[in-house]
Amino acid sequence: MSETAHSNVVQIENLTKHYGEFVALDSLSLTLQKGDILGFIGPNGAGKTTTIKILVGLTRPTRGVARIGGADCVSESRKVRRLIGYMPDKFGSYDNMRVREYLDFFGAAYGVPRSERRRRVAEVLEITNATWMQDRYVESLSHGMQQRIGIARTLIHQPEVLILDEPANGLDPQARIEMREILLRLADEGKTLIVTSHILPELARICDRVAIIAGGKLRALGNLKEVTAQLTQRRTFEVQCLGADHLTAIENQISRAIGDADVSASDTEGIVRFRTAASDEQLSGLLKTLITAGTDVTQFREVAGDLEEAFVTATQAATADSQTSESAGESVAADASAALEAAE
Amino acid sequence: MKGSLVIAEREIPGIMRNKPTLWILLTVAVVFALTILLKWPESGVSDLTGSQARGAFRSLAMAMLTAVVLVVPAFPATSLVKEIRRRTMELLLNSPLHRYEIFFGKALAMFCFILVLLTMTLPAMTCCFAMGGISLTSDILRLYVLLIVVCLQLAVLGMLVGTWAGSPESALRWAYGCTFALVVGTLIPWQFLEGMEGPLGSIASFLRQLSPVPAMLQMVSGTTVSQVGLRDSESLMESYFLYAGLFIVIGSGVCIRRFNYSLLDRSRSQGVITDELSSGGQVARRLFFLIDPQRRKAGIPFFLNPVMVKEFRSRQFGRLHWLLRLISSCAVLSLLLTFATTMGTVDWGVERIGGIIVIAQVTLIIVLTPGIAGGLISGEREAGGWDLLRTTPLSAGRILRGKLISVVLTLLLVLCASLPGYAVIMAIKPNLREQVMQVIVCLLFSAALSLLVSATVSAFVRSTAVATTISYGLLMLLFAGTLVVWSNLDAPFSHTFVERVLSVNPMAGALSAIAASGFETFDLVPRTWWTSGILCGLLLITLQLRTWRLCQPD
Repeated sequence: MSETAHSNVVQIENLTKHYGEFVALDSLSLTLQKGDILGFIGPNGAGKTTTIKILVGLTRPTRGVARIGGADCVSESRKVRRLIGYMPDKFGSYDNMRVREYLDFFGAAYGVPRSERRRRVAEVLEITNATWMQDRYVESLSHGMQQRIGIARTLIHQPEVLILDEPANGLDPQARIEMREILLRLADEGKTLIVTSHILPELARICDRVAIIAGGKLRALGNLKEVTAQLTQRRTFEVQCLGADHLTAIENQISRAIGDADVSASDTEGIVRFRTAASDEQLSGLLKTLITAGTDVTQFREVAGDLEEAFVTATQAATADSQTSESAGESVAADASAALEAAE
Repeated sequence: MKGSLVIAEREIPGIMRNKPTLWILLTVAVVFALTILLKWPESGVSDLTGSQARGAFRSLAMAMLTAVVLVVPAFPATSLVKEIRRRTMELLLNSPLHRYEIFFGKALAMFCFILVLLTMTLPAMTCCFAMGGISLTSDILRLYVLLIVVCLQLAVLGMLVGTWAGSPESALRWAYGCTFALVVGTLIPWQFLEGMEGPLGSIASFLRQLSPVPAMLQMVSGTTVSQVGLRDSESLMESYFLYAGLFIVIGSGVCIRRFNYSLLDRSRSQGVITDELSSGGQVARRLFFLIDPQRRKAGIPFFLNPVMVKEFRSRQFGRLHWLLRLISSCAVLSLLLTFATTMGTVDWGVERIGGIIVIAQVTLIIVLTPGIAGGLISGEREAGGWDLLRTTPLSAGRILRGKLISVVLTLLLVLCASLPGYAVIMAIKPNLREQVMQVIVCLLFSAALSLLVSATVSAFVRSTAVATTISYGLLMLLFAGTLVVWSNLDAPFSHTFVERVLSVNPMAGALSAIAASGFETFDLVPRTWWTSGILCGLLLITLQLRTWRLCQPD
């Protein structure tokens, strides 16, 4: 195995999963290095949970390989289990168990020695700001508190990789902020994190890498800027000027100079915004024109693309793909039946 | 009452559309067809005296009562708890419907289901009627009236339990426990105190009238057939109707009264921890509890299976203070029986006392085991804990061992609690030592079989409530169903046939070992050991394979 392969903590190659005719995952490939925080995004039924379940050894892939720390997730699943901390979207509580007992049980299940376990329980409760709830019954905790205990449980055996399925789901804003801080602290400690979420602004704040999956296929992978650039062809720009007098003139000039631009002006902000696929040369020409025309332009800037936009673009592409394949299937079927009719 | 119809319209499809209902109805139809087939005259011609027809009628009636007792309590008990858990009860209580309308709507839906259930018995009953010797009004009609009253009583009992229970599983446990106590438990004192004068005899006689079984037996036995202990002039049917009617009216009233927001207002206790109490409080708890369940625990030691400890801690019943209460109750009962043995041994004989202990203990095992073991795996899968267990390095074998041991220890403690009773029996009659040992082995087999049946069912079913119901059904079939065959000894079942059937029932083995009344002629030991042992072995292999499969990637 190459040196690069060894440095990759998580390695997924052509991972495919079929449920009968349904393709849940189609040739997914990605790698993660130590300390990466991967935001795993996709609409419902995109294949996120299937990927995670394969990684944690709960599901067998139809094709492809998934490795964590060099160990195969299927054939070496017992080794993999010690390397990962898995937090499913469903908490999985036990009745009549106090938080400390709950964590102690999982520590024992992972083979953490008793003396060390006591210290670890205290540590993970400290990390997740949950020490005060150590004597509470697990099922009596609120959802947000349970999520914290879920994270504490994943940390009890000091895994290298944390796989968190929707950790921010159902949390209030304050709890989300706390969850974000916990995850960032874990990344600082060198843990590799795979986090799925529907709350994209949250992911944008914590993830250094993003993978967008839709229809079982990986649509984009990279850091936030790369992903938005991959998926967002039309960029947004803002032109700010002194006072609102020139706004209409600027709006008209943009529309004349760049044909495809969607232009809108905000009187209160004194800003004209436009979205366009124009090249940098065209934009440079536009700026010259505006200055020559005597408009009091104070700022001309590009607005950073956001994850939500990229997500919507990827999802639309997936829908278009599936529609194309369906229509292709229909036309093949129509051709086949026509051929049969002709033969008869 | 229009609101009741609205509720019933919603409830009836809910009950009738699910698969378990379909299976229950089909099973009932098949069992009744088999019952009548067993009693059908071999020559195809019925005797003129009508004794064959009466025999068939009696078997059918008992089978119908058994079916009703097994099926009816589960539906009302779980329906209410599920409604509370799904939070649809909030919507109902917020609607303009009055609470009595909600209650009667649910009762009406249950009544419709009961009618469908009883309709499944009509083909078999028609065949029985065709054999002759059975009256349409005084036999068949009375039987159906009695069964409807039993069903209503059990439905009210189930709903009553549902208003208190916190989960479908606990609702099932309590509903079946109460049903078993009402139908069978009330008969046990009479079995041993029959004919006795004084308050004890009166209490036993009164308790017997609460159960539908004597009324049913009196009705179906007619004038030619009589049951031991039931040959009396009083009308048991009337007294049963009276007490059942009272129960239905009072129970319905209590249920309606409890249909309010208090059903939804069940906050979970945060559980005060002993370590945070004052030093005086801590000392008091140390004195009161041998092992304080509310004390902060040390970690799980390396030599213990973590799953076993988890099972003990997470089960309401497994939590040590509950276990201590249970064992204390068993020990008190055992001491009372011991006292009764020494005081009344001349009149009763140790065999009768031994019989009481055996029946009481097996009853306790049957009531207790599905409640604990029915959710061993299904409960974990239902709550989402199974996937977490699968992602730990624990092997399937270790998980299963931990779970089984947690129940085995509980059952062993329950069995041990009655040892003083057996010790006194051996002290009174030293020559019974070998028989007592045989009884203890039979009881161990009863416990093992109950545990493995429940655990195996639990491994195949996703819902704990369903697993618990199926386990209760199977155990009742094994322990009580075989006794139904025994009660039909010589009419129509031969001694050999009954002995073969009883060989799967370790409780019958224990009763035969102690030579209890009615079992003296059977030689069931060691045959029941072999049968139970083989059954346990097969169940254990199945359970192990299934658990291993469940631990593999999907």
